[in-house]
Order: sequence, then structure tokens, then C-alpha cells
Amino acid sequence: MATPATSSIPTPTPSSLSNRISTSTDANPVAATTHQVLHSLQHQHQWTSLQIHEIDTKFSIPLISGIPPHRVYTHPDEQLYMVERGLREEDVELDRMFVLPTVQGQAWSLERMAAVFDALPEPAEENEAEAEVEEQTEASEAVDADKAAKLAEYYEYRAKARRTGEWGSKRLLLAVIDKGMGGDGTVVYYVVQEGTVKPRQN
Amino acid sequence: MNSSPDLPIPISYIAGNYFVFSVDAATFLRREHHICGVLAGTLPQVPQQNVFTGLPLELMPEEARLLVEKGVGCIVDEVNFQKQGMKSLMEEDRKKYLKELESQGLESKQLQIRRKERLREEYLKKKNEKAAAKAKKAEEKQDTSAAPSGEDSVFLFDDRQPSTSPSHVSSRRSSVLGASDAMGITPAISHPLLPQQPPAEHHLPLPEVPSSYPLFAHLHSKGYFLSPGLRFGCQYMAYPGDPLRFHSHFLAVAAEWDEQLDLMTIISGGRLGTGVKKGFLIGGADKSRDDSGVAGSNVRAFSIEWAGM
Repeated sequence: MATPATSSIPTPTPSSLSNRISTSTDANPVAATTHQVLHSLQHQHQWTSLQIHEIDTKFSIPLISGIPPHRVYTHPDEQLYMVERGLREEDVELDRMFVLPTVQGQAWSLERMAAVFDALPEPAEENEAEAEVEEQTEASEAVDADKAAKLAEYYEYRAKARRTGEWGSKRLLLAVIDKGMGGDGTVVYYVVQEGTVKPRQN
Repeated sequence: MNSSPDLPIPISYIAGNYFVFSVDAATFLRREHHICGVLAGTLPQVPQQNVFTGLPLELMPEEARLLVEKGVGCIVDEVNFQKQGMKSLMEEDRKKYLKELESQGLESKQLQIRRKERLREEYLKKKNEKAAAKAKKAEEKQDTSAAPSGEDSVFLFDDRQPSTSPSHVSSRRSSVLGASDAMGITPAISHPLLPQQPPAEHHLPLPEVPSSYPLFAHLHSKGYFLSPGLRFGCQYMAYPGDPLRFHSHFLAVAAEWDEQLDLMTIISGGRLGTGVKKGFLIGGADKSRDDSGVAGSNVRAFSIEWAGM
């Protein structure tokens, strides 16, 4: 039952995502998942300076990190601290965030989750990298000295709160790709934090 | 009620469930050990209603186990204890106990009568005062004209006066109430009849608990009040303080360390939690880490919320 009509229809050009996956040199068996999440972050959510990390665990799980266009998560106590000092979310330097790409139906366990969290950098290490950024922002916003002072105070307190876990400990974004019924390209994101971190008052 | 009961608190094991029957014990457990349990007693007349429940307090097996491990409670085979306790009871003990119940009944009857009388007196006093005030007004009003009506009210007033005295008579009579007048007392606990601390032969070993126990113990050790989560679609609800004062923080679900999880569990839990302003908490005991004999010390848990993007 050959239908001559089909041969005349040109094959559609592959999507940018398909191109990205097929041209990738990533040898990881789950590279397609990683790149789909990265693509979603880059184009749908406008994340910047995205990177792929291979973390050193027995499970071979890749991680993505990047800087979101606006804050994804604020601990309720941190929010209170900021509100009390009249600081807004836009005033604060954005953090690099880790994203864990997964697919619906993928085997997952607490053990794997714990392995990923163990591979994340300790809060103290993160702060050293951020220290440089702080100075820059303070210099550029010297116009408003009062605000700069408040920001400095905030950064100082945040460093302490991160070490003590007062504003939550290690966190990452869990990205799950919908692959049911062929998948519609949906990626959902959940904030996962280690330990008992009180919920936000959405 | 700041009295602390004698430790260990006997936890009655009846037909597969754990109960606490004493008010003091129940309040003590809630206040000092963050164990709330669930009040399971309904009214005999309306057993279907489940809003106004009272003693006994039913404990989850996890709660019972935690209390035993802490040395705060002990599990008692209540059926055997009651049966044997009753059998070994002497006739004299029985009579003494019945006498005691009767005197308690009389006491409460007297209390009731006295209360009634007091109310009656108060009422009459008020009524008399009102009548007197009215009479006075009437007198003032009709000072010059109609004297007879004023006299009438005074007469009425006089008439009321003796009505208070019979009540005094009755109160005198109440002190010599007969046994048949005693109120029926239904004791909630079998304490005076049977010893408060059951002998060791009736103690049972540690309660059997589900595999989620390490997570329960972990959250409890962090100061959370835990309650059964069936109503909210999880295993435990974790409250940061007494559930009467706080909303819960987490919908907790336990998993084995290497148990295969469907990511849909995390997504649906995260959605459910975020929808009711709570976090979804999933955790379990890391078998590779030593728990050094303390349940829950090797638990790792993760809080999950929807990212909103």
C-alpha cells in the first residue's frame, strides 16, 4: 500500500533540541536527558552561564549548573531578614544553582539522591567564589551607600547562615522530563533540600 | 495538672492497639515527650460521632516503641493483667473497693446538692432584692396616695422570706444521704483496684513497628510532633510544635535506602505539599552508616517543594 503522496512531502527539519542532542559529543548514556534539560533552562527559562558537570559518584549522574534570571528559592527566614532591612530580591546577587536532570520513569532512590548531595560543594566553598562578586556590586552601587551597607550586612549574615544551615543547607533543582506517551517536551522543576527545611509561605 | 505520673507509664496493649487510659499520663506524654496520639474514646450514646472524642488515647506502634525505648513507658498485656488481677482479688478487697466507690458516689451527690442549693439561694436573693427595690420604688411613687398596694408588696416580700429556710433544712438532710442516693460512679481506670504498675510478668517486649520507624524517630528527635498522615495523603504529619498551636511543616514519607522510587512519587508529593503550604519530606535510614543503637540517628531526609517554574 504505497502512498506516492508521502514521498513528495519533505522531511521536516529537526528541532533545535534534536540538533543539539545529535551533534553533542557528550558520551554519557544519559546525555540526551541532560541536554534537553539544559535546552529548557537556556531557552525557556533564560538561564545563563550553563555548565554540565560530571560528578564523582558510583552512579554516573550528570549535573547542570547555571545562573537563573531571578531567584528560584528564598528560605522563609531569609525572606524575613530581607524584608526587615528593606532589601528586595533584585538587589541581591544571583546564585549559581545546581540542576539534576532526570526522566519520568527513571530508577531513583534515596541512595542516589544522597550521593548527588554529597557531591555538591559545601556552602563554605561556594562563599569564597562569591566574595569577589560582592566587592564588584558594592562598588557599582556606591551611589546608595545605605543600601550597600545593608547588602554587605546581608551577605555577611548569609555566609554565616549557610554555614550553620539556618537558611537551609545544600539545595538543588530536580528537573523531571515528561517521557510518557512519547513526551511533550515538558520539564518540571522541584526544589530539593537536604534535611528538614521549613516550607515557604507561598 | 502539672503532676508527672510514675514512670514507666503503662501502655495497654489491647487487640493489636496501644492505649493510654490515664488523663495524667496522656497530658504528661504530650507536654514532656511530644507524643500526642489520637483520642479514641467516643460517647457510648453516639458512637458514630468523631468530633468530641476523649480517653483512651490511642498510640501508633511507633509512638509506643519510642516511649519504651526512652524508658518512659512499658507495654502491658492488659487482657491478661485484668483477668488475673481480678481473679487474685480477695473478697475483702472487693468489698473495700465497692465501699470506696459508694462513698465517692455519695460525695459527688452531696456536691451536686450543695451546688443546687447555692444556685437556688443566689437566685432567691436576687429575686428578693429585686422585689425589695420594686417595693421601694412603689412606695416612693405612691407615698402620698395609695398605701394599700405598698403594703401588699411588703406582704409579698415577707411571704418569700421563709422559702429560703426549707432549703437549709434540706442541706442538713443531705449530709445523711443513704447508700441508695449515691450517684453511680463509672471508673475510667482500674487503678485503686489493681496496682498502678502491673507486675513484670505482664510486660510485653518492644512493639512491632513498620519500616518507617527510623524516620519517625529521627523527626521526633528533632522536636517535631508527629501524627498519622492518612488524612493528608502521607505517612506522618510533622508539626514544629503542639498541633493545637502550629500548622504542620511536612508531609513525611519514608523509603528504604536502596528502594526503587518512582519519580512520580516525588512530583505528586511535592505538588501535594506545595498546594497546602507544606514541604514534602522523604527520608530513610542509611544502612551503610552506623546508627549506634539509637533509632533514627542514621536517617537522611530531603525536603521537596515545587520550584514554581
